[in-house]
Amino acid sequence: MSNKRKEVVSSITDAASQIKDGMTVAIGGFGAENHPMALVREIIRNGTKNLTVVASATAGLEIDLLIGAGCVKKLFAPYVGQEMYCPIGHNLRKYAESGQIEIWECSEYILYAGLFAAASGQEFFAWRGGVGTSITELNKDLVEFIDPIGKTKKIVAVPPIRPNWALIHVGWSDAYGNGQHLGARFGDRWLARAADRIMVQAERVVPNAVIRKNPFNTTIAYADCVVEVPYGGHPYAAHGFYKEDVDFIQDYVKCSEANRKGDEATWKDYLKRHVHAPKDHYAYLETVGIKKLLDLYTHPIVSW
Amino acid sequence: MSDYSWKELMAVVFAREIKDTDKITSGAHTEIFFAATMLAQKTHAPNMKLQLGGGVTLCNVVDIDIEELPKTSTGYELIRYAESVHDHPDTFLFYGAPGGARYYKEGNDLRNVNHFWFADKFFVGGIQVDKWGNTNMIGLGKPGKFTFRGPGTIGINDIAIGVRDTYAFITAHDKRRLVEKVDFISHPGKKICRENEFYGGGPKWIVTPKCIFDFDPDTLEARLAMLFPSITVEDVKANTGFEVKTAKKVETVPPPSKEELEALRTLVDKTGVLRQ
Repeated sequence: MSNKRKEVVSSITDAASQIKDGMTVAIGGFGAENHPMALVREIIRNGTKNLTVVASATAGLEIDLLIGAGCVKKLFAPYVGQEMYCPIGHNLRKYAESGQIEIWECSEYILYAGLFAAASGQEFFAWRGGVGTSITELNKDLVEFIDPIGKTKKIVAVPPIRPNWALIHVGWSDAYGNGQHLGARFGDRWLARAADRIMVQAERVVPNAVIRKNPFNTTIAYADCVVEVPYGGHPYAAHGFYKEDVDFIQDYVKCSEANRKGDEATWKDYLKRHVHAPKDHYAYLETVGIKKLLDLYTHPIVSW
Repeated sequence: MSDYSWKELMAVVFAREIKDTDKITSGAHTEIFFAATMLAQKTHAPNMKLQLGGGVTLCNVVDIDIEELPKTSTGYELIRYAESVHDHPDTFLFYGAPGGARYYKEGNDLRNVNHFWFADKFFVGGIQVDKWGNTNMIGLGKPGKFTFRGPGTIGINDIAIGVRDTYAFITAHDKRRLVEKVDFISHPGKKICRENEFYGGGPKWIVTPKCIFDFDPDTLEARLAMLFPSITVEDVKANTGFEVKTAKKVETVPPPSKEELEALRTLVDKTGVLRQ
């Protein structure tokens, strides 16, 4: 018997290889923030197929990238786009309009209700939002019933959503999988709690003493796997570290729009430049350039 | 040619709607509403409770310098304006203070607090809007076959069940967007909200670049209520895909005053995001 604690730090290659064809994977972050992009790119490099992807409540183009790379079979998402940069993901449109992906139609809270149901071991969670809309018509997993107490109002029963893995980007984590966000947490804690296993990518792996300085701030406790990837959220922002790379995102929007309009060469070239050609995460960062990376740095607003 | 942009006009019109007692949620892709709500806080509604965006940041900007209007609703910079930040699922559970119409009227009677009151006002986008005020963000086509996939419902229907007034909003006024019946409903109109006994009242207005529709209190159908400067009733009728009924008196919305424009440009939108 040993009294030494188990460390869960892993290489990105070993981590991503645990995501197998056909699995259900939750991808954290929100909008243009905190997406586990280094892991997403590694999954694409591995050629992983037929994933069921559970997106964040306001997914950005990280999901659009996975769709455009051919990794996704089914998608749980109330939104895929990038607000003012790109109101609707182009690959989402291309694949949804041609019937190549199945969309589990939901709203933000219907998604959360499914995650709550899984996290708390319930058979379903009840929610009024969605009544009177087309969501229940489009998603046959959702069941409308009449409130058994008041006897008049319609309610939607949302079944559990259980990802095999949740992939979450945090500011830092210790080697035991205690992760802390250094900014907004969005829906990450719910995605993580509903999943069977949690994979954390951290800007920094820090000593356990750093975590113990403020355990109130630990948002993801005891992740199963931790990967250290500085600038691992690029081209999106990581709260407390850097902002989103607008030029890079606009290039993505341009190339994915070309793909939607039938110009597959431009899209394949994009994937080659930013996913397949760089041999690892650091080679990827070199394609971005050190000046750009330093320009994106944000001074911390809040001290933790 | 007017000396203000259409987005500036919208920001001023919405700022005028906002009361000091309001609790307001502003979602994504809404620079106009960021500007409107921040302008209201800085000019006439300093106590308005404001939630900006998906980080669920509760913001008060009365004494805060706005360097540049935020381009996303999720950015780290929003923390500068925040007094409280929550997990996103908390949007629907317990952020901010309890509210509701009766809370304000009879604020000393705790029995009248509606704990689920989400907000007094919320702004709702759409790729289609129909005469009932049903809006569609899901897409065009039929179940199982989209001819156009929209962005998705986001949280609009979750919010609609507990917001007093929503403001449906489309960025172009034509027959493709203003239709007899939407292909899919992401945000139900007044009639459906009433039938389902939601706390929320559904849309108060449909706002387009040409005009504002309100709703007939008896039939709950949209009716032309206000025109934007230089727009005529005929113009609206010719570009709307449903039969346009009009309110007894159709007024023209007063253009932004010199003072309103100056406040907008010096306090909220210094870099001219709304003029791009």
